[in-house]
Amino acid sequence: MSSNDVFDVLNINKKSSTPVPAPSAGNLAGVAGSTNKPKPQVTGMQRELYSLLGENQPPVMVAQTSSRFKEKLAGKPSPWSKTDFFNARKDNPYKLTFQHWMKGSKELLGDEPQESTFLKFDQHFTLPTFTKEEYDEFMKPQNDSSSNTEENENRWSFEEVDYLMQLCKKYDLRWFVIEDRYNFGESVRSLEDLKEQFYEVCRRYFENKGPAMPLLKSLTFDKSKETDRKAYLQRLLSRSAAEIAEEEALIIESRKFEMAAKKTLNDRESLLRLLDSPNSNKSVVQYMTSQGMSLLYSNMLNDKSKKRKHEAGVPENPWMKQQQQFAQQKQQLQQLHEKKLTAEQGTDSGSEQSPRKTKRQKQELQNAIKRKSEAQYAEYLLQSFTMEERKNLGVIAHGEKLSPGVFLRSTKISTFKPALQNKVSSTMQELGLPLRPAMPSYDVVQKEEELLKAIVSLLELKKQLDKLEAEKAIRS
Amino acid sequence: MAAPVAKRIKTLSVSRPIVYGNTAKKMGDQKPPNAPVEHTHLWTIFVRAPQNEDVSYYIKQVVFKLHETYPNNTRVVNAPPFELTETGWGEFDVNIKINFADVANEKPLSLYHRLRLHPYDSPGNHITSGTDEKGDHIIKASFFDEIVFNEPNEQFFQVLMTKPGNLLPPNKSDQCVFSRQLEQEEIDRMDIALKDVDKQIYKLEQEINDKK
Repeated sequence: MSSNDVFDVLNINKKSSTPVPAPSAGNLAGVAGSTNKPKPQVTGMQRELYSLLGENQPPVMVAQTSSRFKEKLAGKPSPWSKTDFFNARKDNPYKLTFQHWMKGSKELLGDEPQESTFLKFDQHFTLPTFTKEEYDEFMKPQNDSSSNTEENENRWSFEEVDYLMQLCKKYDLRWFVIEDRYNFGESVRSLEDLKEQFYEVCRRYFENKGPAMPLLKSLTFDKSKETDRKAYLQRLLSRSAAEIAEEEALIIESRKFEMAAKKTLNDRESLLRLLDSPNSNKSVVQYMTSQGMSLLYSNMLNDKSKKRKHEAGVPENPWMKQQQQFAQQKQQLQQLHEKKLTAEQGTDSGSEQSPRKTKRQKQELQNAIKRKSEAQYAEYLLQSFTMEERKNLGVIAHGEKLSPGVFLRSTKISTFKPALQNKVSSTMQELGLPLRPAMPSYDVVQKEEELLKAIVSLLELKKQLDKLEAEKAIRS
Repeated sequence: MAAPVAKRIKTLSVSRPIVYGNTAKKMGDQKPPNAPVEHTHLWTIFVRAPQNEDVSYYIKQVVFKLHETYPNNTRVVNAPPFELTETGWGEFDVNIKINFADVANEKPLSLYHRLRLHPYDSPGNHITSGTDEKGDHIIKASFFDEIVFNEPNEQFFQVLMTKPGNLLPPNKSDQCVFSRQLEQEEIDRMDIALKDVDKQIYKLEQEINDKK
């Protein structure tokens, strides 16, 4: 099937009547930059594919010109030649010559055997060398040394030290090899012994030469530490599978404990933060005025030190808006009060709001205004009474939103969930107070509430402390 | 008559102190003629102001609901003094329902009082025993409370404002223990307790901080 058939099916008139492979081939040639070479005839699947492309061929074709790889190959190969090389070290006892392949023609490299290019990697330590006299000189125990006798007993003979130094030199301080090859008379020396002796001798040697060597301090070897380390490693590597499993289980358990501890720590901190927050049982009278309100507002804004739930940004401050409204409202109300002394004012006058505000905001605003005006009205009704008279009349403008109706004062004392209530009751008993105050008057009930609040915090703290102690008991 | 639609004064409350409780004394030989034989005590349950001031301007009626074994156990008292005298042998809860003056347009207030005939004391209860003028042993159990009219309507507010109904005697007396003095004593006691609790809280906080 070719694109012709497709066009037939789709009822599209073809503009060119040339057979399909021809334009595609032409196009291909055009894109490829029209080299003079004739394009290879496309066959098989590729031809089928081209025939499907139709007229609107994509401009970019996969140019399959002659491969670059082959072009490169077409160049002349660079010459390699087998040349001699030798180890150029002066102390090399074996004057051997080896051969290796080098890039370059024989003429360029010459016939002379060359130094090995890897010679620079043939590095060796320079170890101190000394004669027996020197050795005796610097190994002479210091007078102030406390362990003179012991040192003398443990001292190695010069011959053995010399042997050790030779081995070190020969095997380039490869200690395991040195230990393996070590064979000096009857003495059986462990790797640590060898190392210790080597470092000791070196240290003394350099000390004797001149005490100002900056690296002297690094020439120490703590044998006991090293043996401990090896013993520990030995033990670690020879654990049985069961032991490993047990250890892993223990680690998981300890992780769990850590997580739990972290969590409780967080809990505790949040609780303490809660306790630290300003006492709300203070009188709110100072915040009743508009000045007090703005003070409170700014205080709360500045109080960012403590993390609170409602910290998340305050995009617009509703309080300020309400405050402005309050100020306006106050003026209006004062005028209205002069005219008539009913409670009818204030509810509808706030209706000239900007239309931008949402319905809910409006509602809240109006409620606030209403309450404010109500509170003001209540204040107004009472303004002819002194505080003493108000008390005698039993009238209070509490300014809160409580459900209207009649109730007994004693029923408003807080109660708690049964478990907590029991604890609170027993605490009250410990304090020698009755559960129900004998005289639940306004002042007494306020005090009682304050007390109950404190008791609840106390109980909460006690719980925390118990928890802490339990944790500690588990940990230890 | 339909109560006039009265507007409540928001954010304002008026409270009136009341004392409720009962007195009781053992009956001797001179029993009331209609008393059942097994009744041993004569008791009086009452609702009144601390100093027996007039409460009729806001309380219209008090209904005492006695134990079902009493004939006509719902007793209505329509005028002061709001009290009821009965005989009996046992202690039981009396339901006291206070109906307020029509002008108040408030729902009745219901409370319970456990009748006390015997002079045992429990903390918080004001049970006193003494003798009356005739020398008979008399038991008195009384409780103080405040009736709070939250957001009263305007007419009722005016009525309430006519009398300083929240007065308490300055000092304790035999007639009335509920006084400014007792109130102050209560507050002082709570202040001491509050300080104690605060101290404990401080100590616990220290301990918790140490443990961390």
